[in-house]
Amino acid sequence: MDTNKFLYFFKDMQTSSYALQLVEVEKQFGDVRAVDNVSLEVKKGEFFALLGPSGSGKTTLLRIIAGLESAGKGSVFIGGKNVTQNPPYARGIGMVFQDFLLFPHKTVGENIAFPLKMKKMSPTHQQEQLNWVLDLVRMKGYEDRFPNQLSGGQKQRVALARGLVARPDILLLDEPLANLDRELRKEMEVEMRRFQAEIDIPFVYVTHNQEEALTLSNRIAVMKDGHFEQVGDKLELYDEPKTAFVASFLGLNNTISGEVLRQENDFSFIDWKGIELKIPTPNGIKPGDRIAYYLRSEKMHINPLGKNTPVDGSIVLAARLRDIIFKGQYSDYFVILDNDEEMVISDVPDIESLKIGGKVDVSWLPSSGFSFAADGEE
Amino acid sequence: MAVKQFLHSKDLKALALSLPGALFIIFFLFLPLATIVIYSFWRTESYTMIADWNLNNYLTILTTKTYLTFLFRSLAMSLAVSFISLVYSWPVAYYIAKYGGRYRLILTMLTAAPFFTGILLRVTAMQQILGPIGVVNMFLSNIGLKPLHLLMYSHYATALGLIYLWIPFMVLAIYLSLLTFDFKLLDAAMINGASPLRAFWEVTLPLNWIGTCIGLALVFIPTFAATITPKFLGGVNGALYGNILAHQFGSTGTWALGSAMGVLMFTISSLFVFIVFKTVNLNRSGYTGQIAGE
Repeated sequence: MDTNKFLYFFKDMQTSSYALQLVEVEKQFGDVRAVDNVSLEVKKGEFFALLGPSGSGKTTLLRIIAGLESAGKGSVFIGGKNVTQNPPYARGIGMVFQDFLLFPHKTVGENIAFPLKMKKMSPTHQQEQLNWVLDLVRMKGYEDRFPNQLSGGQKQRVALARGLVARPDILLLDEPLANLDRELRKEMEVEMRRFQAEIDIPFVYVTHNQEEALTLSNRIAVMKDGHFEQVGDKLELYDEPKTAFVASFLGLNNTISGEVLRQENDFSFIDWKGIELKIPTPNGIKPGDRIAYYLRSEKMHINPLGKNTPVDGSIVLAARLRDIIFKGQYSDYFVILDNDEEMVISDVPDIESLKIGGKVDVSWLPSSGFSFAADGEE
Repeated sequence: MAVKQFLHSKDLKALALSLPGALFIIFFLFLPLATIVIYSFWRTESYTMIADWNLNNYLTILTTKTYLTFLFRSLAMSLAVSFISLVYSWPVAYYIAKYGGRYRLILTMLTAAPFFTGILLRVTAMQQILGPIGVVNMFLSNIGLKPLHLLMYSHYATALGLIYLWIPFMVLAIYLSLLTFDFKLLDAAMINGASPLRAFWEVTLPLNWIGTCIGLALVFIPTFAATITPKFLGGVNGALYGNILAHQFGSTGTWALGSAMGVLMFTISSLFVFIVFKTVNLNRSGYTGQIAGE
């Protein structure tokens, strides 16, 4: 423990260029450990996403960073300074909330300039900063409106502007797009990436929406039960999930589980409710163990029965096409296999030959899925 | 057909709904008020009202030093009591609204609990606490200290009694306002650099200003009209405007003068409410953000 502390101390000295650093942060609510020994570094200029289902502790962690919740244990460094004991108003942070939390009695201009006013900045300087941020979020001309005269998207922009106007060391965002409709969300995703790239302030972004996290961020931490399952580059998380939870949480998956019958080279053969399937062998798995296998829908192919030219080594299964959901560039095909299990395949639309109720072949490469020892959760 | 249409129209429903309120205001506000206003321009002679229209009653009040003294004394008392109640009620209401949880309703009821008894009993109870042989002074003399003359039949005792009487209104008004207040706004204020005190000043108070004004009016008006409290707690020299007013309708039987005093009291109370609510900017109340004229 002491060695660890020394190491962290040493690490601090080396890495004070981090915008945010968490060292062994913990938070207990009664019997629940909401945040469990979390350490993290966020670099300057990074767009970092905290991704997890509700109750995973991601919002609590964000509130600890903000100082709205005290850390039970551990330390929080912002801009190289230890701010663990600092109140929220002495941390040099900006924050965007899920329900915006604009001050209803202040105009857009007053809302945005609020952090500057609190810093006792001179009126001319305030106006300069205000103009800069209004330009950035494209809200020029709305200064004199009140928040309830704005649309959802405009409120979102004002909230972002207020978070950025004082050029904080870090901007925290708590599910900022959750209250917007789909269209607006897509638009704001693009906008947020643009803001972040323009101003070079690191964003720490909390969301339960994997698509949002994948679209927006550079790096992602997947959270579950208060701890990090995996932290890394978003492509790394997507292509090389380290845990079953990460594999199941990212992407549209088919989950297959069964008992290992026999093993050959790096592959195991499992019994999936009557169908024998070849899958990659996870570490330390012996015949008789149970395996969970996550197969991304977009890594699979669908063809009319018999008209299949699969890649060498592919698994091909016959199925019946139950439903097709057209998504534009691709369609989601829902099929029922011979063992009555359902699978979803995302493939190019083929209106000519793929009809609901028709016989199809489903194929994929065994190595395109992720397999883990099943831990009893099914 | 037209009748049937009228019977089903929104106008009729609106009319029917407004009727109880309108009747109440006509019978219990306008009619008594009109009577008093009319009487105030009359004259009383040997316990009878004589309807010769004149302004003498008002001249008497506004030129006699005694009446003016009582008027200003009551005004000062009402302002002081309102202000002290305001300062005291805020933390109470805030605590109940924010930390009361499922006990909020019970806690609010408790602040109003003294109302379950009645004003005379409450003032008498205060007398038992503050008077020369009251709890406070008994205790002080028992431990060998001098009794507090301040608390015995003085304006301070009256003020204390009035604060005690009307503070539940203030607490309730602020509490009800805080019920609709989004405390999360304070998180936003703090994140954006406001200390808790600054956040209160910038966010909490402006957004609950209407409730606070209602509380001020609810304390000011009964304090300005107080009669029983100064009579029981104020002592020989503790009379206020309300006592002098009541006197006109009692032993002296000068109802016309009393009516004029009443009209003046009503006018000043209305003026106070008007001035207080002048400070409310509906655009900035948090209820509406409509720019005037839009």
